[in-house]
Amino acid sequence: MSEPTASPGPTASPEPVSSPEPTAPQPGSTRTGPGRLLVAIYALFALSASARAGVQIATKFGHAPVAYLLSAFAGMVYILATVTLAVGSPAARRIAVLSCSVELAGVLAVGTWSLADPATFPDATVWSSYGSGYGFVPLVLPVFGLLWLRRWTRRARTLRTTATSAEDAGEAAGGGAGHGGGGGLGHSAEDVVADGRT
Amino acid sequence: MSSVNGAVPTTIIIAGLALAGYALLMTARNRRMSVPLLAAVGVLEILLLVQVGIIVARLAGGERPAGLATLIGYLIAMPFIPVAAAFWGLAERSRWGPAVIAVAGLVAAVLMVRLHQIWPVIRV
Repeated sequence: MSEPTASPGPTASPEPVSSPEPTAPQPGSTRTGPGRLLVAIYALFALSASARAGVQIATKFGHAPVAYLLSAFAGMVYILATVTLAVGSPAARRIAVLSCSVELAGVLAVGTWSLADPATFPDATVWSSYGSGYGFVPLVLPVFGLLWLRRWTRRARTLRTTATSAEDAGEAAGGGAGHGGGGGLGHSAEDVVADGRT
Repeated sequence: MSSVNGAVPTTIIIAGLALAGYALLMTARNRRMSVPLLAAVGVLEILLLVQVGIIVARLAGGERPAGLATLIGYLIAMPFIPVAAAFWGLAERSRWGPAVIAVAGLVAAVLMVRLHQIWPVIRV
């Protein structure tokens, strides 16, 4: 019911083998549109963080064990976020929200820790000083990830409301998807549904 | 000597930043991936391969940096950046395709600075 692939579209077209280019705006996924950029940057950080941690753990683990283990953990979180954002199914989106949240908490916690106790971090991690060594991208990335995922969660919810309730809810949902911001619209759509049912 | 030495990395930095600027302009103007943009990615790829060749030649000559493992990792990963970005960008039929290419351009520029940090004989 919440599947975005359920839209009636090019399946009805008579010619079977035509342009693979989607002329009609398809529902897409978290990996399309701005998500394409997001997945690219996540993949970059997944590669750099885990490769760096791998080299450090293999060659000089005793030098800064906490920093290297945290780098390895960060790398795994980035890999998880990259894969789940690229898959984009409802279940994958839930895991993506979790990994982006862990990432945001991690960069804030490790950033603060590295400033408060520099002795533990003789060598930098991706998240040291809030990711300053990486142009603060590690701090900004999970925020954009969560905002992007929130848009998709909302779109799935509004799709459900259009399926259950009438045109009014559909209008509200269209406005919400178009704006992509503001918590009020999502709530109003829910209220409409609630009113329609009671 | 040093100017000859740093010619390729400096060219890559300038080319990477120029590519990123052009690609971001396309994103801002709501353009999709285009043949000129792909050609520019190809040029960046060739420059990166030349740089890899120069470093491999130095290593073959017996010189060793402190962080050899990291350097080898960079040598392996570097040529894949433009290729991966081209494929991922081409899969997108919107303005966000060029945005992926912009990331590759910026990364290429940053990689040259990082290479210099790993092995200071690689001048920028």
